[in-house]
Amino acid sequence: MLQFARFAATRAAMAVFTLLLVSLIVFTLMELVPGDCAERYLAFKNTQGQSITVEDIEAERIRLGLDRPFLERWTSWLGDVFLHGDFGQSCILRMDINNLLGDKFLISLGICLAALVFAYLIAIPVGIIAATSKSPLLNNVLRFVSYLGLAMPNFLLALIIILVSTVIFGDTLTGLFSKEYRDAPWSFDKFMDFLSRAWLPVIILGWSATAFALQTVRALMSDEIGKLYVTAAEARGISGARLLWRYPARHALGPIFNSLGFDLNRIFNELPIVALIMTLTEAGALLIEALARSNDQQLAGAIIFLLTASIVAVNFLTDVLLALIDPRIRKGILG
Amino acid sequence: MTDIAERPIALESDDERKRKEAYFTASQTQLIWARFRKNRSAMIAGVVLITMVLMGIFAPFLSPYDPTIAGRDKDYENGAPQIPMFWDHNGFSLRPFIYGVERTRSIETNFRWVTTVNKEDRHYVQFFVRGWEYSLIDFVIDLPGDRWDLGIKALTSDIHLFGVDKGKIHLFGTDASGKDIFSRTMHAIYTSLAVGTIGVFIAFVLALVIGGVAGYYGGWIDSVLQMITDAVRTVPAIPLFMALAAFVPQEWSSEMRFFFISIILGFIGWPTLARRVRTHLLSERSQEYVLAAKLCGASPGHVIRRHLLPSFTSYIIVDLVISFPYMVLSETALSFIGLGLKDPVNSLGVLLQNVSQADVLLNYQWYFIPAGFFVVLVLAFVFVGDGLRDAADPYASTRK
Repeated sequence: MLQFARFAATRAAMAVFTLLLVSLIVFTLMELVPGDCAERYLAFKNTQGQSITVEDIEAERIRLGLDRPFLERWTSWLGDVFLHGDFGQSCILRMDINNLLGDKFLISLGICLAALVFAYLIAIPVGIIAATSKSPLLNNVLRFVSYLGLAMPNFLLALIIILVSTVIFGDTLTGLFSKEYRDAPWSFDKFMDFLSRAWLPVIILGWSATAFALQTVRALMSDEIGKLYVTAAEARGISGARLLWRYPARHALGPIFNSLGFDLNRIFNELPIVALIMTLTEAGALLIEALARSNDQQLAGAIIFLLTASIVAVNFLTDVLLALIDPRIRKGILG
Repeated sequence: MTDIAERPIALESDDERKRKEAYFTASQTQLIWARFRKNRSAMIAGVVLITMVLMGIFAPFLSPYDPTIAGRDKDYENGAPQIPMFWDHNGFSLRPFIYGVERTRSIETNFRWVTTVNKEDRHYVQFFVRGWEYSLIDFVIDLPGDRWDLGIKALTSDIHLFGVDKGKIHLFGTDASGKDIFSRTMHAIYTSLAVGTIGVFIAFVLALVIGGVAGYYGGWIDSVLQMITDAVRTVPAIPLFMALAAFVPQEWSSEMRFFFISIILGFIGWPTLARRVRTHLLSERSQEYVLAAKLCGASPGHVIRRHLLPSFTSYIIVDLVISFPYMVLSETALSFIGLGLKDPVNSLGVLLQNVSQADVLLNYQWYFIPAGFFVVLVLAFVFVGDGLRDAADPYASTRK
């Protein structure tokens, strides 16, 4: 138990270290882009009819603490984020970032996680069947489908679905909430309405992930299935689904479980574009508006940090869970 | 005992021996090619891929009109695709033709411009016609400042593969400003391939240096580099890129944008490649031939360059081919949301920019034609990459 706690602690420390490194990278990149918060805010005021001088910019810079050295600002930002969970204020909107993101980030994360679950719910059984079946037709079809997952990226699929639905149903199937619920507080009805509309983005987001996962499951399964322990188990009289599930699948699914974090990363990459096409303002506004349109360094940094943090968290969880489930790894830890 | 003696001794015929000898003395490239040739889907994909690359390179020759606003057809905006025909109600013609179009507005059409097809007016398709002037080799670097500017133009011509005797032909229709979608698609293939090539090249150099150092030295250098690589790998690249691209000044020229995008794509793509290079190197590093080279006094650089890298060149090439579609994909996605390349440059993403508008969805479905080319291009790359991977793996046939 003690050893296990130590293992979990090292993993947690590594996760925190990764986050620190990532925050440094993100913070540096955000620093590199031309212009800073003070300039941008005052430029915005300028458009409102106030005249701005160089002194004003300097004063604003001092007020925001932008005149302090880079490392000092980074550490103070980090301190706020890690100790208080506070991302500070948005550059342009002058609002607390935590309020601004709030629900939106959770909705986006929920949709992405649902897409990930959807992908594996399909990929694991189908992948196992594909690995065990000898039918060349089935194998070729599945191979083609998983290649199509790359060649027909989610945004193209979304476009085609919208095209078909507009031509056939005359309705675009876009948006995450009906009109009457858009600004309403969360309630059971709103949640049901959300579910009735969220399934399509979940499937579209999960599409590429499913295709990739299918390929991985199939490859890992067919590696394991020829091994001696499977034959031995078969010789002992175990057969069918019981054999597959109890022997090769357990081995094959370990690495897959381990790579969930990177699958989530891939889904995050698709999210902004799909959100734009499907006009998921609740989830899309978060990324597109904040990142691309408003040039808001603080907000952009916060979003990317949050996305990375969720990936790191998933990686940490899968590492620890795998150690619990997989006796080989458990043994490795306990020594 | 006797049956051994009686069994006919398999005498190798000359042909067979020659074949075997050829096999044993074949170079690695020949072996890979022999295995690759047997893979039918990969061969087909290879032919498609080469065709697409040629289409990209000879885009100006193939496209009847200038893909920029200069080549627009102001009499045929948002025009439907014109497919050459061989016969109609007026009879058969060996030379394919299309119908002429007229644009009119009058009180009947509520004073809006309406395009009508005149079925009596045949426009015959001609080959090797003269049109707008282009250069097949047109290499221009236009960085800020005059010092580094470079312009090479060669193979200038004005001959195009096809055209019509009067009026214009638009195989894939035209867009809202009357630009020929066929010409734009041809040029877009070239741009997307070029962005991908530069991106892959940058990613490759970074991966080779970082993965090479990590794999060759091992130990703590490896651990530190691995940690950094893993950290970079956890950052979702596209959102990060969107954040950066939003700060690209609007006044940047299209060439600047082009290089910026390629460089960013390269920076996004290196971690996966670097990991592969490192793993290869780590396993090769402990081989005897490396030790022998070291004992002979070879420097680390020499060992990496002359011994380790050649040992897995084929794997590296395969990795490059496989990572190519990701580059094309990222570029398309970014241009699609308006953060990548912009209008005067034609890339597949730029062409798809307007398709999510409602009127396009309902009325102008031919805007989607470039998407088909995109899917075919990526599929071809994936199949070729997969075929190459199988061919380069000497144990591919024993493992199943």
